[in-house]
Amino acid sequence: MTAFYLYPLWLRLWHWLNALIFVTLLVTGVSMHFTLNWLIPFDVAVPIHNTAGVLLTGSWLLFVIGNLWGGNGKHYLINLRTLPKDLIAQTRYYLHGIFVGAPHPFHVSAEHKLNALQTLSYVGVMYGLMPVLILSGWAFLFSTSLPETLFGIGTVWIIAIVHLVVAWMLALFLIVHSYIITTGETPTTNLKAMVTGWHKEQSSG
Amino acid sequence: MLVSPLSDPRSGFSCLAYGQCGTALRRLLLLALLALTASAFALSTAASYGAAAQTAKKSGLLKEDSRDCMRCHWMETMAYRDRETGKIVNLSIDRDAYRHSVHHELACSDCHDRGYSHYPHRTSSADEALQCVECHEEREDDGAPNLVGLHHEYEKSVHVTEEVEDFSCFSCHNPHTFHPVSAGESIAQVVAETNGTCLDCHTELLTPVPKGHEWLPRPQAHWGSVRCLDCHTPLEGRITERPSHNVLAAEDSNQLCVECHSKGSALLSQLYNYRTEQARDEKGFFAQAIYNDAYIVGMTRNPWMDWIGLGVILLMILGVAAHGYARYRFHREQETSK
Repeated sequence: MTAFYLYPLWLRLWHWLNALIFVTLLVTGVSMHFTLNWLIPFDVAVPIHNTAGVLLTGSWLLFVIGNLWGGNGKHYLINLRTLPKDLIAQTRYYLHGIFVGAPHPFHVSAEHKLNALQTLSYVGVMYGLMPVLILSGWAFLFSTSLPETLFGIGTVWIIAIVHLVVAWMLALFLIVHSYIITTGETPTTNLKAMVTGWHKEQSSG
Repeated sequence: MLVSPLSDPRSGFSCLAYGQCGTALRRLLLLALLALTASAFALSTAASYGAAAQTAKKSGLLKEDSRDCMRCHWMETMAYRDRETGKIVNLSIDRDAYRHSVHHELACSDCHDRGYSHYPHRTSSADEALQCVECHEEREDDGAPNLVGLHHEYEKSVHVTEEVEDFSCFSCHNPHTFHPVSAGESIAQVVAETNGTCLDCHTELLTPVPKGHEWLPRPQAHWGSVRCLDCHTPLEGRITERPSHNVLAAEDSNQLCVECHSKGSALLSQLYNYRTEQARDEKGFFAQAIYNDAYIVGMTRNPWMDWIGLGVILLMILGVAAHGYARYRFHREQETSK
Protein backbone atom coordinates (compact mmCIF):
# COMPACT_ATOMS: atom_id res chain seq x y z
CA MET A 1 0.00 0.00 0.00
CA THR A 2 1.19 3.47 -0.82
CA ALA A 3 0.16 6.66 0.95
CA PHE A 4 0.98 10.24 0.10
CA TYR A 5 0.06 13.27 2.16
CA LEU A 6 -1.11 15.29 -0.83
CA TYR A 7 -3.49 17.84 0.63
CA PRO A 8 -2.37 19.96 3.59
CA LEU A 9 -5.03 21.25 5.97
CA TRP A 10 -5.20 24.74 4.50
CA LEU A 11 -5.74 23.30 1.05
CA ARG A 12 -8.52 20.97 2.19
CA LEU A 13 -10.23 23.76 4.11
CA TRP A 14 -9.93 25.99 1.08
CA HIS A 15 -11.29 23.29 -1.23
CA TRP A 16 -14.40 22.60 0.81
CA LEU A 17 -15.01 26.25 1.57
CA ASN A 18 -14.65 27.05 -2.13
CA ALA A 19 -17.01 24.18 -2.97
CA LEU A 20 -19.59 25.45 -0.49
CA ILE A 21 -19.39 28.99 -1.87
CA PHE A 22 -19.57 27.75 -5.43
CA VAL A 23 -22.59 25.52 -4.84
CA THR A 24 -24.31 28.40 -3.02
CA LEU A 25 -23.65 30.64 -6.00
CA LEU A 26 -24.89 28.00 -8.39
CA VAL A 27 -28.13 27.35 -6.52
CA THR A 28 -28.91 31.03 -5.93
CA GLY A 29 -27.87 31.87 -9.48
CA VAL A 30 -30.13 29.22 -10.98
CA SER A 31 -32.93 30.34 -8.69
CA MET A 32 -32.53 33.95 -9.86
CA HIS A 33 -32.02 33.13 -13.50
CA PHE A 34 -35.09 30.91 -13.78
CA THR A 35 -37.05 32.86 -11.13
CA LEU A 36 -37.51 29.69 -9.09
CA ASN A 37 -39.15 31.30 -6.13
CA TRP A 38 -39.94 27.87 -4.67
CA LEU A 39 -36.21 27.11 -4.54
CA ILE A 40 -35.01 30.35 -3.02
CA PRO A 41 -37.15 33.51 -3.03
CA PHE A 42 -35.66 36.13 -5.30
CA ASP A 43 -35.17 38.75 -2.60
CA VAL A 44 -33.29 36.19 -0.50
CA ALA A 45 -31.27 34.80 -3.41
CA VAL A 46 -29.91 38.18 -4.52
CA PRO A 47 -28.09 39.20 -1.30
CA ILE A 48 -26.84 35.64 -0.76
CA HIS A 49 -25.53 35.45 -4.33
CA ASN A 50 -23.83 38.83 -4.05
CA THR A 51 -22.27 37.98 -0.69
CA ALA A 52 -21.12 34.55 -1.86
CA GLY A 53 -19.66 36.24 -4.95
CA VAL A 54 -17.53 38.50 -2.78
CA LEU A 55 -16.48 35.50 -0.68
CA LEU A 56 -15.57 33.56 -3.83
CA THR A 57 -13.28 36.43 -4.80
CA GLY A 58 -11.53 36.11 -1.44
CA SER A 59 -11.37 32.36 -1.86
CA TRP A 60 -9.84 32.68 -5.31
CA LEU A 61 -7.22 35.10 -3.98
CA LEU A 62 -6.41 32.59 -1.23
CA PHE A 63 -5.95 29.92 -3.89
CA VAL A 64 -3.56 32.12 -5.85
CA ILE A 65 -1.63 33.06 -2.70
CA GLY A 66 -1.53 29.42 -1.62
CA ASN A 67 -0.17 28.41 -4.99
CA LEU A 68 2.42 31.16 -5.02
CA TRP A 69 3.69 30.72 -1.48
CA GLY A 70 2.21 27.46 -0.21
CA GLY A 71 4.07 25.24 -2.65
CA ASN A 72 0.87 24.00 -4.30
CA GLY A 73 1.50 25.90 -7.53
CA LYS A 74 3.85 23.27 -8.94
CA HIS A 75 0.92 20.94 -9.56
CA TYR A 76 -0.57 23.42 -12.02
CA LEU A 77 2.48 23.72 -14.23
CA ILE A 78 1.71 22.26 -17.61
CA ASN A 79 4.47 20.25 -19.23
CA LEU A 80 3.89 21.22 -22.83
CA ARG A 81 6.37 18.63 -24.11
CA THR A 82 4.58 15.63 -22.65
CA LEU A 83 1.07 17.15 -22.64
CA PRO A 84 -0.27 15.75 -25.96
CA LYS A 85 0.95 12.22 -25.20
CA ASP A 86 -0.37 12.33 -21.63
CA LEU A 87 -3.70 13.77 -22.70
CA ILE A 88 -4.24 11.06 -25.29
CA ALA A 89 -3.27 8.34 -22.83
CA GLN A 90 -5.57 9.75 -20.14
CA THR A 91 -8.51 10.20 -22.54
CA ARG A 92 -8.05 6.68 -23.92
CA TYR A 93 -8.07 5.36 -20.40
CA TYR A 94 -11.35 7.13 -19.51
CA LEU A 95 -13.02 6.12 -22.76
CA HIS A 96 -11.74 2.57 -23.04
CA GLY A 97 -9.11 1.32 -20.62
CA ILE A 98 -11.25 1.89 -17.55
CA PHE A 99 -13.79 -0.64 -18.86
CA VAL A 100 -11.28 -3.36 -19.61
CA GLY A 101 -9.20 -3.16 -16.48
CA ALA A 102 -6.24 -1.43 -18.12
CA PRO A 103 -3.69 0.04 -15.69
CA HIS A 104 -4.14 3.72 -14.88
CA PRO A 105 -1.75 5.69 -17.10
CA PHE A 106 -0.96 8.16 -14.33
CA HIS A 107 0.38 7.45 -10.89
CA VAL A 108 -0.12 9.88 -8.07
CA SER A 109 3.02 11.00 -6.32
CA ALA A 110 3.94 13.79 -3.95
CA GLU A 111 5.41 15.66 -6.91
CA HIS A 112 2.53 15.03 -9.32
CA LYS A 113 -0.89 14.70 -7.82
CA LEU A 114 -2.79 15.72 -10.97
CA ASN A 115 -2.89 13.91 -14.27
CA ALA A 116 -2.64 15.82 -17.56
CA LEU A 117 -6.40 16.16 -18.01
CA GLN A 118 -6.82 17.32 -14.44
CA THR A 119 -4.02 19.84 -14.73
CA LEU A 120 -5.40 21.25 -17.94
CA SER A 121 -8.98 21.48 -16.68
CA TYR A 122 -8.01 22.91 -13.27
CA VAL A 123 -5.76 25.52 -14.84
CA GLY A 124 -8.54 26.39 -17.30
CA VAL A 125 -11.08 26.66 -14.52
CA MET A 126 -9.06 28.43 -11.84
CA TYR A 127 -6.95 30.73 -14.02
CA GLY A 128 -9.29 31.06 -17.01
CA LEU A 129 -12.98 30.80 -16.21
CA MET A 130 -12.95 31.75 -12.54
CA PRO A 131 -11.36 35.20 -12.99
CA VAL A 132 -13.82 35.94 -15.82
CA LEU A 133 -16.73 34.84 -13.63
CA ILE A 134 -15.51 36.92 -10.71
CA LEU A 135 -14.77 40.02 -12.80
CA SER A 136 -18.13 39.85 -14.57
CA GLY A 137 -19.81 39.41 -11.19
CA TRP A 138 -18.11 42.53 -9.84
CA ALA A 139 -19.03 44.36 -13.01
CA PHE A 140 -22.67 43.57 -12.21
CA LEU A 141 -22.28 45.01 -8.74
CA PHE A 142 -20.86 48.23 -10.14
CA SER A 143 -22.74 48.28 -13.41
CA THR A 144 -23.97 51.83 -12.83
CA SER A 145 -20.37 53.06 -13.00
CA LEU A 146 -19.74 51.38 -16.33
CA PRO A 147 -20.39 52.96 -19.72
CA GLU A 148 -23.89 52.43 -21.09
CA THR A 149 -22.67 50.69 -24.21
CA LEU A 150 -19.61 48.77 -25.32
CA PHE A 151 -19.03 48.29 -29.07
CA GLY A 152 -22.55 49.60 -29.58
CA ILE A 153 -24.10 46.90 -27.39
CA GLY A 154 -25.43 47.42 -23.89
CA THR A 155 -22.54 46.86 -21.46
CA VAL A 156 -24.70 45.14 -18.85
CA TRP A 157 -25.96 42.74 -21.47
CA ILE A 158 -22.42 41.77 -22.51
CA ILE A 159 -21.49 41.24 -18.87
CA ALA A 160 -24.62 39.22 -18.26
CA ILE A 161 -23.97 36.93 -21.22
CA VAL A 162 -20.33 36.40 -20.23
CA HIS A 163 -21.34 35.71 -16.61
CA LEU A 164 -24.02 33.27 -17.71
CA VAL A 165 -21.92 31.36 -20.24
CA VAL A 166 -19.00 31.02 -17.82
CA ALA A 167 -21.42 29.92 -15.09
CA TRP A 168 -22.83 27.24 -17.40
CA MET A 169 -19.30 26.04 -18.16
CA LEU A 170 -18.35 25.93 -14.50
CA ALA A 171 -21.54 24.03 -13.67
CA LEU A 172 -20.47 21.55 -16.33
CA PHE A 173 -17.04 21.34 -14.71
CA LEU A 174 -18.65 20.63 -11.35
CA ILE A 175 -20.57 17.66 -12.78
CA VAL A 176 -17.49 16.21 -14.48
CA HIS A 177 -15.30 16.91 -11.45
CA SER A 178 -17.76 15.21 -9.09
CA TYR A 179 -17.81 12.15 -11.30
CA ILE A 180 -14.14 11.96 -12.19
CA ILE A 181 -13.11 11.79 -8.53
CA THR A 182 -14.85 8.42 -8.37
CA THR A 183 -12.45 6.99 -10.94
CA GLY A 184 -9.64 6.46 -8.46
CA GLU A 185 -8.58 3.06 -7.27
CA THR A 186 -11.91 2.78 -5.50
CA PRO A 187 -14.80 5.19 -6.03
CA THR A 188 -14.02 6.94 -2.74
CA THR A 189 -10.20 6.98 -2.85
CA ASN A 190 -9.99 10.55 -4.11
CA LEU A 191 -12.82 11.83 -1.96
CA LYS A 192 -11.20 10.42 1.16
CA ALA A 193 -7.92 12.02 0.15
CA MET A 194 -9.54 15.46 0.02
CA VAL A 195 -11.00 14.86 3.49
CA THR A 196 -8.03 13.34 5.28
CA GLY A 197 -5.22 14.72 3.16
CA TRP A 198 -3.83 11.22 2.59
CA HIS A 199 -3.97 9.57 -0.81
CA LYS A 200 -3.93 5.83 -0.15
CA GLU A 201 -3.75 3.07 -2.73
CA GLN A 202 -3.66 -0.66 -2.11
CA SER A 203 -1.63 -1.43 -5.19
CA SER A 204 1.82 0.03 -5.34
CA GLY A 205 1.10 1.42 -8.75
CA MET B 1 -49.23 93.17 -69.23
CA LEU B 2 -46.11 91.14 -69.66
CA VAL B 3 -44.29 91.63 -72.87
CA SER B 4 -42.07 88.96 -74.25
CA PRO B 5 -38.54 90.21 -74.78
CA LEU B 6 -38.64 88.56 -78.15
CA SER B 7 -41.43 90.80 -79.23
CA ASP B 8 -39.65 93.84 -77.95
CA PRO B 9 -38.08 95.56 -80.93
CA ARG B 10 -35.34 96.88 -78.69
CA SER B 11 -34.08 93.41 -77.94
CA GLY B 12 -34.03 90.10 -79.76
CA PHE B 13 -31.39 88.20 -81.55
CA SER B 14 -30.79 91.02 -83.94
CA CYS B 15 -28.89 92.82 -81.26
CA LEU B 16 -25.53 93.95 -82.37
CA ALA B 17 -23.74 94.73 -79.21
CA TYR B 18 -22.80 91.89 -76.83
CA GLY B 19 -24.10 93.78 -73.84
CA GLN B 20 -27.55 94.23 -75.31
CA CYS B 21 -27.77 90.56 -76.20
CA GLY B 22 -26.83 89.60 -72.60
CA THR B 23 -29.64 91.75 -71.17
CA ALA B 24 -32.20 90.13 -73.45
CA LEU B 25 -31.07 86.65 -72.43
CA ARG B 26 -31.23 87.54 -68.75
CA ARG B 27 -34.79 88.80 -69.24
CA LEU B 28 -35.69 85.61 -71.04
CA LEU B 29 -34.28 83.52 -68.22
CA LEU B 30 -36.05 85.64 -65.62
CA LEU B 31 -39.33 85.20 -67.40
CA ALA B 32 -38.87 81.45 -67.70
CA LEU B 33 -38.11 81.33 -63.99
CA LEU B 34 -41.23 83.35 -63.24
CA ALA B 35 -43.35 81.04 -65.37
CA LEU B 36 -41.88 77.99 -63.61
CA THR B 37 -42.48 79.46 -60.16
CA ALA B 38 -46.04 80.38 -61.08
CA SER B 39 -46.84 76.89 -62.33
CA ALA B 40 -45.18 75.31 -59.30
CA PHE B 41 -47.23 77.58 -57.03
CA ALA B 42 -50.40 76.69 -58.93
CA LEU B 43 -49.59 73.00 -58.58
CA SER B 44 -48.82 73.21 -54.89
CA THR B 45 -51.97 75.26 -54.24
CA ALA B 46 -54.02 72.68 -56.06
CA ALA B 47 -52.35 69.93 -54.07
CA SER B 48 -52.93 71.63 -50.74
CA TYR B 49 -56.50 72.38 -51.72
CA GLY B 50 -56.92 68.71 -52.53
CA ALA B 51 -55.37 67.74 -49.19
CA ALA B 52 -57.62 70.21 -47.40
CA ALA B 53 -60.63 68.79 -49.16
CA GLN B 54 -59.55 65.33 -48.14
CA THR B 55 -58.99 66.42 -44.54
CA ALA B 56 -62.37 68.10 -44.62
CA LYS B 57 -63.88 64.72 -45.29
CA LYS B 58 -62.13 63.25 -42.29
CA SER B 59 -61.94 66.01 -39.71
CA GLY B 60 -65.08 66.73 -37.75
CA LEU B 61 -63.83 70.23 -37.10
CA LEU B 62 -64.25 71.11 -40.74
CA LYS B 63 -67.86 70.04 -40.82
CA GLU B 64 -70.25 72.88 -41.35
CA ASP B 65 -71.67 73.16 -37.83
CA SER B 66 -68.21 72.87 -36.30
CA ARG B 67 -66.94 75.87 -38.21
CA ASP B 68 -69.10 78.20 -36.16
CA CYS B 69 -67.58 76.79 -32.97
CA MET B 70 -64.05 76.91 -34.27
CA ARG B 71 -64.37 80.59 -35.17
CA CYS B 72 -63.63 81.18 -31.50
CA HIS B 73 -62.33 77.91 -30.08
CA TRP B 74 -59.28 77.63 -32.30
CA MET B 75 -57.71 80.55 -30.47
CA GLU B 76 -55.02 79.50 -28.01
CA THR B 77 -56.06 82.20 -25.58
CA MET B 78 -59.68 81.05 -25.48
CA ALA B 79 -60.32 80.64 -21.76
CA TYR B 80 -62.22 81.99 -18.80
CA ARG B 81 -61.72 82.15 -15.08
CA ASP B 82 -64.16 80.05 -13.12
CA ARG B 83 -65.88 82.29 -10.60
CA GLU B 84 -66.15 79.61 -7.94
CA THR B 85 -62.76 77.98 -8.09
CA GLY B 86 -60.86 80.94 -9.50
CA LYS B 87 -59.08 78.59 -11.91
CA ILE B 88 -58.53 79.31 -15.57
CA VAL B 89 -60.64 76.99 -17.71
CA ASN B 90 -59.07 76.39 -21.09
CA LEU B 91 -61.61 76.37 -23.93
CA SER B 92 -59.14 76.29 -26.78
CA ILE B 93 -59.15 73.36 -29.18
CA ASP B 94 -55.78 72.40 -30.65
CA ARG B 95 -56.85 71.63 -34.22
CA ASP B 96 -53.73 69.67 -34.98
CA ALA B 97 -54.00 67.51 -31.88
CA TYR B 98 -57.71 66.99 -32.56
CA ARG B 99 -56.98 65.89 -36.10
CA HIS B 100 -54.73 63.14 -34.70
CA SER B 101 -57.10 62.13 -31.92
CA VAL B 102 -59.43 59.12 -31.97
CA HIS B 103 -62.43 61.44 -32.13
CA HIS B 104 -61.22 63.38 -35.15
CA GLU B 105 -64.20 62.37 -37.27
CA LEU B 106 -66.71 63.80 -34.85
CA ALA B 107 -68.15 67.27 -35.25
CA CYS B 108 -68.42 69.42 -32.13
CA SER B 109 -72.20 68.95 -32.00
CA ASP B 110 -71.84 65.15 -32.02
CA CYS B 111 -70.94 65.39 -28.35
CA HIS B 112 -71.89 68.93 -27.33
CA ASP B 113 -75.42 68.59 -28.56
CA ARG B 114 -77.43 71.02 -26.51
CA GLY B 115 -77.36 74.55 -25.19
CA TYR B 116 -74.67 75.85 -27.48
CA SER B 117 -76.86 77.45 -30.12
CA HIS B 118 -76.81 80.75 -28.26
CA TYR B 119 -73.86 83.01 -28.19
CA PRO B 120 -72.49 83.81 -25.70
CA HIS B 121 -73.25 80.36 -24.32
CA ARG B 122 -75.34 80.17 -21.21
CA THR B 123 -73.55 79.15 -18.05
CA SER B 124 -75.87 76.15 -17.80
CA SER B 125 -74.36 74.82 -21.03
CA ALA B 126 -71.23 73.86 -19.15
CA ASP B 127 -73.22 71.45 -16.98
CA GLU B 128 -73.66 68.99 -19.83
CA ALA B 129 -73.19 65.42 -18.64
CA LEU B 130 -70.90 63.78 -21.19
CA GLN B 131 -70.76 60.03 -20.72
CA CYS B 132 -67.91 58.24 -22.48
CA VAL B 133 -69.16 54.72 -21.72
CA GLU B 134 -72.75 55.33 -22.88
CA CYS B 135 -71.70 57.25 -25.95
CA HIS B 136 -69.28 54.48 -26.96
CA GLU B 137 -72.00 51.87 -26.47
CA GLU B 138 -74.41 53.82 -28.65
CA ARG B 139 -71.82 54.21 -31.36
CA GLU B 140 -70.44 50.70 -31.22
CA ASP B 141 -71.69 50.06 -34.75
CA ASP B 142 -69.60 52.99 -35.95
CA GLY B 143 -66.48 51.36 -34.53
CA ALA B 144 -66.38 52.98 -31.09
CA PRO B 145 -64.68 50.50 -28.72
CA ASN B 146 -66.83 49.21 -25.88
CA LEU B 147 -65.73 50.73 -22.60
CA VAL B 148 -67.91 48.74 -20.21
CA GLY B 149 -65.14 46.40 -19.04
CA LEU B 150 -62.85 49.33 -18.60
CA HIS B 151 -65.55 51.10 -16.59
CA HIS B 152 -65.83 48.12 -14.23
CA GLU B 153 -62.09 48.33 -13.64
CA TYR B 154 -62.33 52.06 -13.10
CA GLU B 155 -65.09 51.62 -10.51
CA LYS B 156 -62.71 49.52 -8.39
CA SER B 157 -59.88 52.01 -8.73
CA VAL B 158 -58.59 54.08 -5.87
CA HIS B 159 -59.85 57.19 -7.62
CA VAL B 160 -63.41 55.97 -7.09
CA THR B 161 -63.12 54.07 -3.81
CA GLU B 162 -61.36 56.99 -2.17
CA GLU B 163 -64.06 59.27 -3.58
CA VAL B 164 -61.71 61.73 -5.19
CA GLU B 165 -63.69 64.91 -5.80
CA ASP B 166 -64.93 65.55 -9.34
CA PHE B 167 -63.05 62.59 -10.72
CA SER B 168 -64.18 61.36 -14.12
CA CYS B 169 -62.78 60.03 -17.39
CA PHE B 170 -61.89 63.60 -18.27
CA SER B 171 -59.60 63.92 -15.24
CA CYS B 172 -57.07 61.82 -17.13
CA HIS B 173 -58.25 61.77 -20.74
CA ASN B 174 -58.74 64.81 -22.91
CA PRO B 175 -61.21 63.65 -25.57
CA HIS B 176 -59.98 66.39 -27.90
CA THR B 177 -56.45 65.02 -27.97
CA PHE B 178 -56.76 61.37 -26.90
CA HIS B 179 -55.08 58.91 -29.24
CA PRO B 180 -53.82 55.34 -28.81
CA VAL B 181 -50.12 54.49 -28.83
CA SER B 182 -48.91 54.65 -32.39
CA ALA B 183 -46.29 52.31 -33.81
CA GLY B 184 -43.78 55.08 -34.42
CA GLU B 185 -43.67 56.20 -30.81
CA SER B 186 -40.67 55.18 -28.74
CA ILE B 187 -41.07 53.49 -25.37
CA ALA B 188 -39.70 56.59 -23.69
CA GLN B 189 -42.35 58.73 -25.40
CA VAL B 190 -45.19 56.39 -24.44
CA VAL B 191 -43.98 56.19 -20.86
CA ALA B 192 -43.49 59.95 -20.59
CA GLU B 193 -46.94 60.58 -22.01
CA THR B 194 -48.83 58.15 -19.79
CA ASN B 195 -46.86 59.06 -16.67
CA GLY B 196 -47.44 62.73 -17.47
CA THR B 197 -51.16 62.07 -17.08
CA CYS B 198 -50.63 60.81 -13.53
CA LEU B 199 -48.11 63.50 -12.61
CA ASP B 200 -50.41 66.27 -13.81
CA CYS B 201 -52.37 65.72 -10.59
CA HIS B 202 -49.82 63.95 -8.39
CA THR B 203 -47.43 66.88 -8.41
CA GLU B 204 -46.20 65.93 -4.92
CA LEU B 205 -44.27 63.13 -6.63
CA LEU B 206 -42.19 65.49 -8.74
CA THR B 207 -39.13 65.16 -6.50
CA PRO B 208 -35.86 63.28 -7.04
CA VAL B 209 -36.93 60.59 -4.56
CA PRO B 210 -40.72 60.64 -4.73
CA LYS B 211 -42.71 60.00 -1.57
CA GLY B 212 -43.57 56.33 -1.11
CA HIS B 213 -41.00 55.27 -3.72
CA GLU B 214 -37.97 55.26 -1.42
CA TRP B 215 -37.74 51.47 -1.72
CA LEU B 216 -37.36 51.68 -5.48
CA PRO B 217 -33.73 51.86 -6.66
CA ARG B 218 -33.07 54.67 -9.14
CA PRO B 219 -36.68 55.89 -9.24
CA GLN B 220 -36.07 58.35 -12.06
CA ALA B 221 -34.56 55.63 -14.26
CA HIS B 222 -37.57 53.44 -13.55
CA TRP B 223 -39.97 56.24 -14.35
CA GLY B 224 -38.25 56.79 -17.65
CA SER B 225 -38.94 53.25 -18.82
CA VAL B 226 -41.88 51.96 -16.79
CA ARG B 227 -45.38 53.34 -16.65
CA CYS B 228 -46.86 54.19 -13.25
CA LEU B 229 -49.69 51.88 -14.28
CA ASP B 230 -47.32 48.93 -14.68
CA CYS B 231 -46.99 48.75 -10.90
CA HIS B 232 -50.16 50.52 -9.81
CA THR B 233 -52.66 48.14 -11.41
CA PRO B 234 -53.43 44.53 -10.44
CA LEU B 235 -51.36 41.73 -11.87
CA GLU B 236 -54.36 39.57 -12.74
CA GLY B 237 -56.47 39.98 -15.83
CA ARG B 238 -54.10 42.15 -17.81
CA ILE B 239 -54.52 42.48 -21.54
CA THR B 240 -52.02 43.72 -24.08
CA GLU B 241 -54.29 46.21 -25.79
CA ARG B 242 -54.64 48.68 -22.93
CA PRO B 243 -53.59 49.19 -19.34
CA SER B 244 -56.05 48.34 -16.58
CA HIS B 245 -58.12 51.22 -15.23
CA ASN B 246 -58.21 49.70 -11.77
CA VAL B 247 -55.59 52.00 -10.31
CA LEU B 248 -54.41 50.59 -7.00
CA ALA B 249 -53.71 52.41 -3.76
CA ALA B 250 -50.04 52.76 -2.83
CA GLU B 251 -50.20 49.98 -0.24
CA ASP B 252 -51.77 47.53 -2.70
CA SER B 253 -49.40 48.25 -5.55
CA ASN B 254 -46.73 45.85 -6.79
CA GLN B 255 -43.36 46.14 -5.12
CA LEU B 256 -41.85 42.83 -6.21
CA CYS B 257 -38.80 43.53 -8.37
CA VAL B 258 -38.87 40.04 -9.80
CA GLU B 259 -42.25 40.62 -11.39
CA CYS B 260 -40.54 42.89 -13.86
CA HIS B 261 -37.02 41.58 -13.77
CA SER B 262 -37.76 38.08 -14.96
CA LYS B 263 -39.01 36.11 -17.90
CA GLY B 264 -42.70 36.22 -18.64
CA SER B 265 -43.02 39.31 -16.53
CA ALA B 266 -46.67 40.04 -16.05
CA LEU B 267 -45.97 43.63 -15.05
CA LEU B 268 -44.03 44.48 -18.14
CA SER B 269 -45.82 42.27 -20.60
CA GLN B 270 -48.12 44.94 -22.01
CA LEU B 271 -45.45 47.42 -22.81
CA TYR B 272 -42.95 44.67 -23.51
CA ASN B 273 -44.99 43.16 -26.32
CA TYR B 274 -45.09 46.56 -27.87
CA ARG B 275 -41.37 46.97 -27.31
CA THR B 276 -40.66 43.62 -28.98
CA GLU B 277 -42.50 44.60 -32.12
CA GLN B 278 -40.77 47.93 -32.18
CA ALA B 279 -37.34 46.37 -31.64
CA ARG B 280 -37.96 44.01 -34.52
CA ASP B 281 -38.79 46.94 -36.76
CA GLU B 282 -35.83 49.00 -35.67
CA LYS B 283 -33.05 46.53 -34.99
CA GLY B 284 -33.99 43.68 -37.26
CA PHE B 285 -34.62 40.05 -36.50
CA PHE B 286 -31.15 39.05 -35.34
CA ALA B 287 -30.71 41.73 -32.70
CA GLN B 288 -34.24 41.08 -31.51
CA ALA B 289 -33.45 37.38 -31.20
CA ILE B 290 -30.43 38.13 -29.05
CA TYR B 291 -32.19 40.65 -26.86
CA ASN B 292 -35.29 38.55 -26.69
CA ASP B 293 -36.85 38.43 -23.23
CA ALA B 294 -34.05 40.58 -21.88
CA TYR B 295 -34.43 41.57 -18.29
CA ILE B 296 -32.30 43.80 -16.16
CA VAL B 297 -31.13 41.56 -13.36
CA GLY B 298 -29.26 38.90 -15.30
CA MET B 299 -30.59 40.37 -18.51
CA THR B 300 -29.98 37.15 -20.34
CA ARG B 301 -33.37 35.52 -20.48
CA ASN B 302 -32.81 34.16 -23.92
CA PRO B 303 -34.73 30.87 -24.20
CA TRP B 304 -32.32 29.51 -26.81
CA MET B 305 -29.32 30.00 -24.55
CA ASP B 306 -31.15 28.39 -21.68
CA TRP B 307 -32.16 25.38 -23.73
CA ILE B 308 -28.65 24.94 -25.08
CA GLY B 309 -27.16 25.30 -21.59
CA LEU B 310 -29.62 22.90 -20.00
CA GLY B 311 -29.22 20.49 -22.91
CA VAL B 312 -25.44 20.37 -22.56
CA ILE B 313 -25.74 19.87 -18.79
CA LEU B 314 -28.27 17.09 -19.28
CA LEU B 315 -26.13 15.37 -21.90
CA MET B 316 -23.16 15.55 -19.56
CA ILE B 317 -25.15 14.04 -16.70
CA LEU B 318 -26.37 11.27 -18.99
CA GLY B 319 -22.83 10.77 -20.27
CA VAL B 320 -21.26 10.36 -16.85
CA ALA B 321 -24.20 8.22 -15.70
CA ALA B 322 -23.67 5.90 -18.67
CA HIS B 323 -19.91 5.89 -18.02
CA GLY B 324 -20.51 5.06 -14.38
CA TYR B 325 -22.96 2.30 -15.25
CA ALA B 326 -20.51 0.75 -17.72
CA ARG B 327 -17.80 0.81 -15.06
CA TYR B 328 -20.16 -0.82 -12.59
CA ARG B 329 -21.03 -3.55 -15.11
CA PHE B 330 -17.33 -4.19 -15.76
CA HIS B 331 -16.66 -4.32 -12.04
CA ARG B 332 -19.53 -6.83 -11.51
CA GLU B 333 -18.30 -8.99 -14.37
CA GLN B 334 -14.84 -9.06 -12.87
CA GLU B 335 -16.23 -9.94 -9.47
CA THR B 336 -18.26 -12.83 -10.86
CA SER B 337 -15.38 -14.13 -12.98
CA LYS B 338 -13.26 -14.27 -9.84
